[in-house]
Amino acid sequence: MPSAAELAWLIPVLPLAGACLVGLGLISFNRTVNRLRKPVAVLLISSVGAAAVLSYAVLAQQLAGAGTTEVLFNWASAGSFNLQMGFRVDALAAVMLALVTTIALLVMVYSDGYMAHDKGYVRFFTYLALFSSSMLGLVISPNLLEIYVFWELVGMCSYLLVGFWYDRDGAANAAQKAFVVNRVGDFGLLLGILGLFWATGSFGFEEIGARLQEAVAGGSLSSGVAVLLCLLVFMGPMAKSAQFPLHVWLPDAMEGPTPISALIHAATMVAAGVFLVARLQPVYEPFAAVQLTIAVVGTITLFLGASIALTQMDLKKGLAYSTVSQLGYMMLAMGCGAPVAGMFHLVTHAFFKAMLFLGSGSVIHAMEEVVGHEPVLAQDMRLMGGLRKHMPITSATFLVGCVAIAGIPPLAGFWSKDEILGQAFNTYPLLWVMGFVTAGMTAFYMFRLYFLTFEGEFRGNDQAMAAQLLAAAGKGAGDHDEEAGHGHHADHPHESGWQMAAPLAVLAVPSVLIGLLGTPWNSRFAGLLDPHEAAEMAEHFSWGEFLPLAGASVAISSAGIALAVAAYALKRVDLGRAVAARFPAVNAFLANKWYLDDLNDKLFVQGSRKLARSVLEVDSKVVDGVVNLTGLMTLGSGEGLKYFETGRAQFYALIVFGGVIALVVLFGSLG
Amino acid sequence: MPFPWLSASILFPIGSALLIPFVPDKGDGKQVRWFALGVALVTFLITVGGYLNGYDPSVEGLQLAQHIDWLPQLGLAWSVGADGLSMPLILLTSFITALAALAAWPVSFKPKLFYFLLLAMDGGQIAVFAVQDMLLFFLAWELELIPVYLLLAIWGGKKRQYAATKFILYTAGSSLFILLAGLAMAFYGDSISFEYTALMAKDFSAQFQLLCYAGLLIAFGVKLPIVPLHTWLPDAHGEATAPVHMLLAGILLKMGGYALLRFNVQLLPAAHAQFAPLLVVLGVVNIIYAALTSFAQRNLKRKIAYSSISHMGFVLIGIGSFSALGTSGAMLQMISHGLIGASLFFLVGATYDRTHTLQLDEMGGVGQKMRKMFALWTVCSLASLALPGMSGFVSELMVFVGFVTSEVYTLSFRVVMAVLAAVGVILTPIYLLSMLREIFFGKENAELASHSNLVDAEPREIYVISCLLVPIIGIGLYPRIMTDSYRASIEALVRRETSAMALVIPTPASGLIRQASVQAPSLTG
Repeated sequence: MPSAAELAWLIPVLPLAGACLVGLGLISFNRTVNRLRKPVAVLLISSVGAAAVLSYAVLAQQLAGAGTTEVLFNWASAGSFNLQMGFRVDALAAVMLALVTTIALLVMVYSDGYMAHDKGYVRFFTYLALFSSSMLGLVISPNLLEIYVFWELVGMCSYLLVGFWYDRDGAANAAQKAFVVNRVGDFGLLLGILGLFWATGSFGFEEIGARLQEAVAGGSLSSGVAVLLCLLVFMGPMAKSAQFPLHVWLPDAMEGPTPISALIHAATMVAAGVFLVARLQPVYEPFAAVQLTIAVVGTITLFLGASIALTQMDLKKGLAYSTVSQLGYMMLAMGCGAPVAGMFHLVTHAFFKAMLFLGSGSVIHAMEEVVGHEPVLAQDMRLMGGLRKHMPITSATFLVGCVAIAGIPPLAGFWSKDEILGQAFNTYPLLWVMGFVTAGMTAFYMFRLYFLTFEGEFRGNDQAMAAQLLAAAGKGAGDHDEEAGHGHHADHPHESGWQMAAPLAVLAVPSVLIGLLGTPWNSRFAGLLDPHEAAEMAEHFSWGEFLPLAGASVAISSAGIALAVAAYALKRVDLGRAVAARFPAVNAFLANKWYLDDLNDKLFVQGSRKLARSVLEVDSKVVDGVVNLTGLMTLGSGEGLKYFETGRAQFYALIVFGGVIALVVLFGSLG
Repeated sequence: MPFPWLSASILFPIGSALLIPFVPDKGDGKQVRWFALGVALVTFLITVGGYLNGYDPSVEGLQLAQHIDWLPQLGLAWSVGADGLSMPLILLTSFITALAALAAWPVSFKPKLFYFLLLAMDGGQIAVFAVQDMLLFFLAWELELIPVYLLLAIWGGKKRQYAATKFILYTAGSSLFILLAGLAMAFYGDSISFEYTALMAKDFSAQFQLLCYAGLLIAFGVKLPIVPLHTWLPDAHGEATAPVHMLLAGILLKMGGYALLRFNVQLLPAAHAQFAPLLVVLGVVNIIYAALTSFAQRNLKRKIAYSSISHMGFVLIGIGSFSALGTSGAMLQMISHGLIGASLFFLVGATYDRTHTLQLDEMGGVGQKMRKMFALWTVCSLASLALPGMSGFVSELMVFVGFVTSEVYTLSFRVVMAVLAAVGVILTPIYLLSMLREIFFGKENAELASHSNLVDAEPREIYVISCLLVPIIGIGLYPRIMTDSYRASIEALVRRETSAMALVIPTPASGLIRQASVQAPSLTG
């Protein structure tokens, strides 16, 4: 019997087969297939479930110490070139396989509840399965080229899912923005891959690393060029993992249905960039300049995300900026040369951030019962409050997530974030300061979200505030009433059904416990990914070093939480007056997201439109103008044109043809 | 004597077209369309039969060859054959024409003439790819113009006369260069012959090659098209009906690329060694220039027409790449664009049938009612923006990798060209996704919905697109199903051009672009 690793190609193929089957059904028998909601959901959930079982078998083998399995075949070839494809299973891939299938499975179960009333239910599940397939293909890719293939495919799925509610203008714009910004990153990635192939003749991670180092050491390649190529490749992860300045698409991508935000835009796809950087460690490691750039980009991102999250009033956008910030932490770890720490944070973050997003989905779902299907209202925290009484499971799990991300031991976020900060402290102390301060901001904004949403009095029936919000969003109250007229079922929200509550409860378990697998004195996680490093870590571990740093992190997190409690639970401090009013410039700067969107719009969006318009102008006036002028001149006074106007074009064509034949015969007979 | 597959595939559709006047039809095209579809399908089967029975992909030379003296006093011979350059395009032609016949189902104005021209074009286009005689090639090239001209002039849009005239003047004018170059080559040296093989054996002087090359480049540059010789295309495409469109984008543009490979590269390798950097530069100009004009276009048909020009840029870079991988990529890009371009233009036609407008400003929110159409549009647009898993990605990637690793250009030239070409990677999704957004996304356009009948895609339309998507995705998943069928010929071609390159002493100007020494053997395998 073949081992699980040899069957690993089935893991992406199973969901793909399911998605293709349903997709073809949707195209050919749209109505019938759209009515088969439950069978489709069962089929696709079980295909992802089967992939999950296989993934865990692969992970178990890796835990038992199995080596790397790589299977390749010739995909395209010409001359002496062979482009190879295949799959590769090692510890890193196994961890990602298990993570992606688990979260995909939970999100699909959740979606059954969340999307229950949506007319695109079947289409949604198809996209979900398609995404799972692409993401799983990405993590078992054996070389850069295949990574690029799946990289684009997950981007496509993201495009389709962000634009899922395609009647909303916001979704349409966000989907396009997500794809185009990612293409900017892919532009660099593609050029980097091409350049590395030129320099090393390979697409494989280890070969590129070894040969690049050789070439630089041997003097056939200047180290500047090598660094440039590495940074070009890094543009891909910058876009996909929402690193400054290419992070702008991620907050907008929240226009997609919330399960998507949890799966794609928090747990899996956005982490693909971090995963790729981890895969590329053998390439990046020898170049200090590359590592430093990655660390600096990560640090800017983590600070930027957290600072913008401070002022967000939209629950999902708040979480989105939090994701940006956490991805910055992961990148910082990669830049510090600690891929294990970065991957560990990726795993813990995937669990608790997925839980937080699904929790926010549960809140939004409940809010829609009160304020109607209008995202401007249903997602705004100014209309929430007091939801804990109505939604005990959601609020409890959300609180667990907040504690986990804030970095309070023994929950998951503490261990992984502390590991990163420890590494940064040893490598780039200045960057550590930023990471450390941001940890306090993280605790503050997460608890701010929690208190505004779940504590205090319910504000959902505040019509004046609702009207104000609609006006601010540029939507008339009239449209809203029309749509939501039948939506006012209830005065207060209700807890969501079991399909939505169960995944929350399941995700709470790893959010609390999974960090214990990565304690610095006995890290099982590091033991799996890099046994050598794990042994070293355990050997060098000393409480004297660990406790002061960990204590400091806990202290600043607690301070952040305390401030949030004082401001939003006890209402002792009015931050609006104390800070926002006193520093209006800072407040505006944060509320306008560092003005990056405006800058992009002015510089790139308008700029490219203007450029395109002027090129078209040149095309029609100058290039075509010359042609028409020549045409007119040859036709003289336009006598010739008469023929065409009178419908005797065929006759003219015959003359041309006859003339040509005569010419041929003439030349022929002359010869 | 083996069955003459190629002659049959040329003469059968033309012969059958002559029978169309005798097909009983009430004038609404309901009978004649079945006849045309049947003939197109049989033609497709004949080409497939030829491919399966008489064509061995591993052989680099001419196969399925047939030679009959026709007018010996003119030196004219009926000489057909296929190698790796022509066989895939012959298959593409018969395939796309069969689908175009199906796409032409709603044509009710002068259906007999329409189908007559369609079938005549089928045979004419296969002849362009299959003939092995310069004079015959010229005849086929000219013959195929007339059906296109009439199809444009009679069934086109409002500005059809202008577009058709422009088309015929452009192409007929430029084809004069083919005739001149062809005659010059035929009469060069001691022997007179129009056969490709005989011309290949001739040892043209470098100066002579340059002259012929320049002439042919203009002629084929109009067809491909190469900016700035492209302005007939947006007009012709903007006015054509959907089935004609499919043929224009799917096959006609490929004649330019094929002829560049066949004549400029194969017959005039020494001149090609001089001109190749120019081809690469023109390719990059095509990609960026046409992508920008496409982005600014507000007319759907013209937008897609410009996007065709942009995609043809990769063909030019591949042809100029001096690498087997790049040239193979150029070939694949032609096939791939033939399929993707045809599918997009078919969808434009199908959408126009419903909205009765092509102005993007007058559309919007159409996705509410036309969900299947929306899905088809999305898939084909993604194919066009070179999404992996579909053929466009593979061909563009092959061109990129082939060009970047090509040893004949200096590093700086390669870097600049690759970076500029990669800008196309950003521009393509911008205009295609904006287009999708403006047609399908957002709130329904009330005015549009009130006066047009937005019914969803019908089975015939889904079937046409599916037929195109199967090879698009098939090639995307495993490109060797296509590349292996012409691999040997491309490798022989690249060997030929590389050995010619080694003989050329670089002039000072080209020295800036080209590396001094060429290691020819390292490129071949």
